This record gives sequence, C-alpha cells and structure tokens, in this order.
Amino acid sequence: MNWDNTTLFSDDNPADRAFREEVREWVGANCPKDLCHRPLRIDPPELKPWHRKLYERGWIAPHWPKQAGGMGATLTQQIILFEEMSRIGAPTPYPHGLNFIGPLIIDAGTPEQKAKHLPGILTGDITWCQGYSEPGSGSDLVSLTSRAVLDGDTFVLNGHKTWTTNGHFADWMFALLRTDPAAKPRHAGITMLLIDLKSPGVTVRPIQTIRGDSEFAEETFVDVRVPKQNMLGELNGGWAVANKLLGSERFTTGHPRNAAVLLNKARQVAEYSGAIRDPAFLHRLAVLEIDLLAFSAFYRHAANLHGHRKAPLSMAPVIKIAGGELGQKASELLVDAAGPLGASADDITIGNTAVNPAADLFEMRRVTVGSGTVEIQRNIIAKRVLNLPS
Amino acid sequence: VELLLNEQQVLLRDAAAKLGIARGGPRRARQLRDARAGIDADAWNEIVAAGWLSALVAEERGGLGLGAFDLALALEETGRQVVMTPLTEAASAVWALAEAGAAVDQAMQSKLVVPASRPPGQSYTQSDLSEPAVRLDGSTLSGLLSFIPFAEKADAFLVVANEGPATALCLVPRATAGLSVATTHNVDGSTSSKLVFDRATLSADQIIAKGGKAEAIVAKMNELLLLGTAVELLGTAQAALDMTLAYIKLREQFGKPIGSFQALQHRAVNCYVDAELNRSLIFAVLAARDAGTCHPAMVAAAKARASRCALDTVRAALQLHGAIGYTDEHDIGIYYKRAVALAAKYGNEITHVGRFSELTMPAGRAEG
Repeated sequence: MNWDNTTLFSDDNPADRAFREEVREWVGANCPKDLCHRPLRIDPPELKPWHRKLYERGWIAPHWPKQAGGMGATLTQQIILFEEMSRIGAPTPYPHGLNFIGPLIIDAGTPEQKAKHLPGILTGDITWCQGYSEPGSGSDLVSLTSRAVLDGDTFVLNGHKTWTTNGHFADWMFALLRTDPAAKPRHAGITMLLIDLKSPGVTVRPIQTIRGDSEFAEETFVDVRVPKQNMLGELNGGWAVANKLLGSERFTTGHPRNAAVLLNKARQVAEYSGAIRDPAFLHRLAVLEIDLLAFSAFYRHAANLHGHRKAPLSMAPVIKIAGGELGQKASELLVDAAGPLGASADDITIGNTAVNPAADLFEMRRVTVGSGTVEIQRNIIAKRVLNLPS
Repeated sequence: VELLLNEQQVLLRDAAAKLGIARGGPRRARQLRDARAGIDADAWNEIVAAGWLSALVAEERGGLGLGAFDLALALEETGRQVVMTPLTEAASAVWALAEAGAAVDQAMQSKLVVPASRPPGQSYTQSDLSEPAVRLDGSTLSGLLSFIPFAEKADAFLVVANEGPATALCLVPRATAGLSVATTHNVDGSTSSKLVFDRATLSADQIIAKGGKAEAIVAKMNELLLLGTAVELLGTAQAALDMTLAYIKLREQFGKPIGSFQALQHRAVNCYVDAELNRSLIFAVLAARDAGTCHPAMVAAAKARASRCALDTVRAALQLHGAIGYTDEHDIGIYYKRAVALAAKYGNEITHVGRFSELTMPAGRAEG
C-alpha cells in the first residue's frame, strides 16, 4: 500500500466519492496549467478568468445557499472541491468576497445590498478586501479608532486601515469603524460599512510583505463620504455582524492539504539535495507526517461533526493553532531540506517544477498571525472551552 | 471533540466508565502497585463477566461482533481510571484464537491468555539481534521472549514463534514443562516478564496456526496490541489533564487562581489541543482498521503520537501542580507513572516514528 499524505482517510459516502470524481475530472480539464503549482502568490486580476470558469460551472460558492446563487453544498463537498483543486496545484479564489463578506451580506444585508453586491462576488468581477486592522489595533481589534460620523444620510470617514490583503486590487472594502467613541463596552460603538474604494478621499498604498510580494496595502480615509445604505446591519451593531462569520467559512484556509503540500515539497527537495539519506531529516519528516495525519483526522472529524450540527466551539481555534503551527514547521523543514539552497532568493528548478523554499517559509509566517494570532486563539480556548478563570 | 456514536456504543462506553469509577482510580492503582499485585483481580473479574474479552470476535463464532473502535471506547474509560487490567492483551489474544479456529466459549474466557509476541517497533534493533526469537522445532519450543505484560498472572500464552523462516502461533499453558517466567515490576505497578522456553514440548493441538495464516493473524494481533495501548494512553493523558485543569482553577497564589495566568493557561491549552488531535487520530485509525483500509504506518503513527502526547501532558500536569505533584501522596503522579509505562510498552515514540518513516518511504528508494 503506497503512502499518500493527501488522501489519508477515504470518503465515507458514495455521493461524496462520485462528486470527488466529477470535480477531479473537471478541474484537471479546465484549470489553466500556467496557474498551477506557482511558487509565488497570484494577484487577483490574473485569477479572474479561472474564477469565472468556476462560476460558470456553478462551483464558485459551494457554501452559499442556492437562492443566493451558491451550491448549498455540505461542508464535506466544500472540502472535496478544495482538495481536488489543490491536488493539481490549482489556485483557489480569494476568500474575502466569497467566504467573508458574501455570507455576511446574505445573512444581514438589505435586499438592495444583496442585489448590488452578490452578483459581482460570484462572477469575480468585483474584488473585495477586509478593513479590520489599524496601526493601533491588531489583536485588540475592539480598540479600533477609525471614525465614521453620520451626517444626514451619509457617513463621513476619517482614519487608517492597514495590513489589508489585496487592498490595492480591491474595488470594495468591508470595514469596521468607530461610530460611538463613548460606548461601553467598546464593541457596542462599532459599525460595519461597505466602502467603494474609488470614493474621493481614499488613498491606497501597497505594502511589500516579508515574502517579497505586495499582498498588503494600507488605506487612508480623509472625509470619505459613504451613503448610509452601505451600512451592513445596525448602527453600532458591526461587531455582532462580524462575529456571525462561522468557523466553516474559514474552514478551507486551515485545510491539512496546505501542510501536506509543503511536506511533499520537502521530500522532493530532500531527494534533490541528498537530505533524504540523513536519518535526522527522516525522523523530523516522520514526526511532522504523523502530526499531519493527526491533524487530518481532527479536521475530518470536525467537518463531520459540523455536518451533524455538533461542531464544538473549540473547532475553529484548534484548526487555526494546530494547522498553522504544523504548516510553519513543514515550511521550516522544507528550508532545511534544501541545505545551502534554503537561503536562495531564486527558485530552485527540479525537473520541470520550480520550488522556492524561502518564499514558503516567509509565507507561512502569516498563518499564525492573520485573522487572530494563535496566542489569541489559545486565550479563547482557555476562557471559553476550558473555563479557566480571568 | 465528541465522537459520533450509536446507542450500543454509548452503552458500552458508559458501562466501562461506571466500572472504572467503581473499581479503578488513582488510589486503587497506588494500593495495587504497593502490594505488587500486578493486576486488579476484582476489576478483571467484572470485565470477564461483561464478556468484553470476546468483543472483537464475530457473533457467529461466539463473540460480541464489535470492532476495535468499539472496544476502544471501553479502553479509553478504563485508561482514564488507570484500571490495571489486561483488556487490550486478552481481547487481542481471544480474537487471534478465534481467527485460528478455536471455540470462543466461557471456558476459554475464564482463563487469562496473553500474547507472547514482539510487535514491530517494540525494541531497538540491537536488543532484537541479541535476543533470538522463540523457535518451534517439530513440537519443541526454545528461546526467549522479553517484555511480556501481565504474564505473571496469565494462565496461558499465545506464543509467536519462528518455524524456520515461517511463523507459528502456539497456545502454551503456563504449567508447561520447560517454560519459566521471570517477572519485573514497572513504575506504575504493571509487570513485564521474560518467558524462557527450554525445549518446552507442545502437543499438536497447541500449535494453532502456521505459515501465512499465522503471519496474518500475528500482524493483526500486534496491531490490536498497539492500538489498544494507544487508547489507554489517551485515557490516561485525558484524566491527567482534567485533574490539572481542576487544580489550577482552585489553587491560589499571588491572590488569584493560578489558572488565571496566561503562561499556565497556554500550557494547559497546548495539552488540550494535542489531546483533541490525538483522539481524532486514534479513533480514525481504529475506524480505518475496522473498515480494512488501515495502512500499517497509521498504527505506528497512533502509538508514536499517543506516547508523545501522553508524556507531554503528564509532564505539564506535574509542572502545573508544583511541589505537591512531586509527592507520592498526590494522585497526579499515578497518571505520570502509568503514562511512562504505557509509552514504553510495545515500542515508544522514537521506535514507532522510525517504523513510520520506513513504512512511508516510497518503494525503491535508496535508504541511507
């Protein structure tokens, strides 16, 4: 029996197996080859044709309800879609529209907001970004100070958002803004607004990341006018809207496949470099493969429980911590597998594939920080799951 | 994270939990250890009476027709209560006996039969080489087998022997002439015995399987030993974590419960996360085993990770208890010692990581 760390536990259900076959065949035939297995990030504009193909096939929004233009798929089907795309190294569409703001608009949006925004998210014509972090508000997001002041039927925005993925490619931003500075508790003074980034007074500056791409941007708002009908949910009710994002919508970003791909690269690079004959390397690889097996089992188990509506509170933070830290360790092993080439800024070419261990190493720094650091996740588990005292 | 269980599984788990709470617990484990009892006879009689020894045997052959997943639900609970009983060993042996064609009846289950096997990964190569395996030559057994748990109290042994290049499985009563049993005690009160066969003569009906059939049975029996032990480790670690969480919520220093300090919280959370992953891993491997889709590397992974996770958890548990954890009066040390014993049994983390590495190496790869 050959070991394949990407298919460790088979699908239980015949319908899921059939769906997997269908997806595998279609993705293999339709994903542009030049998008697959790219060592560096692909910016949103280049992804648009692939996004549209998925849209036309009806698979772009598996988790959305059918009446909103989605598939109404089970979580298992969503995971199958992700797995079959990542099997051939196909990129998955960015989550900010499809996974983050889309479900929030479906849940809390007005009929006008739904009609205006959902089609562009589905087709991929409109790129979204998330305006949460500010220079002074990272982990302590509730301390955010960027202001929105209601002036008749219009909010007037002044402030600063930063570390925004795709900010400089985005057409629209969903943002949390301070509408009541005196509110106690502080989260009761925050409102969510949908902001057209082409509005006068918006300045966007790309920020180069440690990985060397320009994924991030910062946005400055000076007297930016946003119509009141772009408010999502209630005035001062933005915190509750943002917290409606369920763990399932972030499920695929924590998929074990991410670490599996890195470990397989580490194996490939180790064969190239000779590290594969070093028992110390093999031991470290095996420890991480075993951790991957355990994480895959947890992930499957959690998805299954989610399908039975029994997903525990701890599911999302455990996935974040375990998956993130495993991915980081895998990227570190990949760099070590390369030996002196681990420091290379240029791609390593092995056969007809290009690998860039250092780029993966740097990219994986984000997974224990973005959307809530693993330390914050540990605080959440300590307080809400283990009921430890404050 | 809870498991999705059917009604029968819930009943089995609850019965085992009830038995464990009534019969087991750290105080009982300490008494048995100090008395060098080696086995909890009262708890064992109840387990035998419940019929769990035949759990893995098909119903048409006189068993309960359960899977290893189901039996594990009971083992996790007895592990949680550090019950000193050979359920893993006896259920594995009874399964193997039934596979070899023996009738699974009351008489068989009233005797304690333990496997005298050397699961792959049990020990380092060095000691494997220095210790020749038991050989079957005609009707005579010679050689020795070390580290056999619960052998001290066993009525018979299911001996895995070499017959030339092939394997033979023999049912050897303890009273057999030429068999001697030398027992040492482990830190938790469990025992480990060396079986020496000095031209022990068997009757033909004691050689219960040979060749390919014996090899297949032994491979699966060894898997059961490893997985059962992994489950016991899981239960032990969970109990140690639960006890520690309760302690740090109550213990006050600097005018506050120590469980309010972030450094300690994060240490406890790490144990929790590790336990969640481990539980999913082990039960997924058990389900794969029952479905016949289990890669042998998965079993090595389960034992390796269960051993590591349990030792990491009891280490943290002792640390979070502070000085009282260093006393024998406090119960947390009982879990520590059980984890040490179970982690070392049938191969520890290092040997099973090594085995996993070999088993997952793509075929034809030059090894260094």
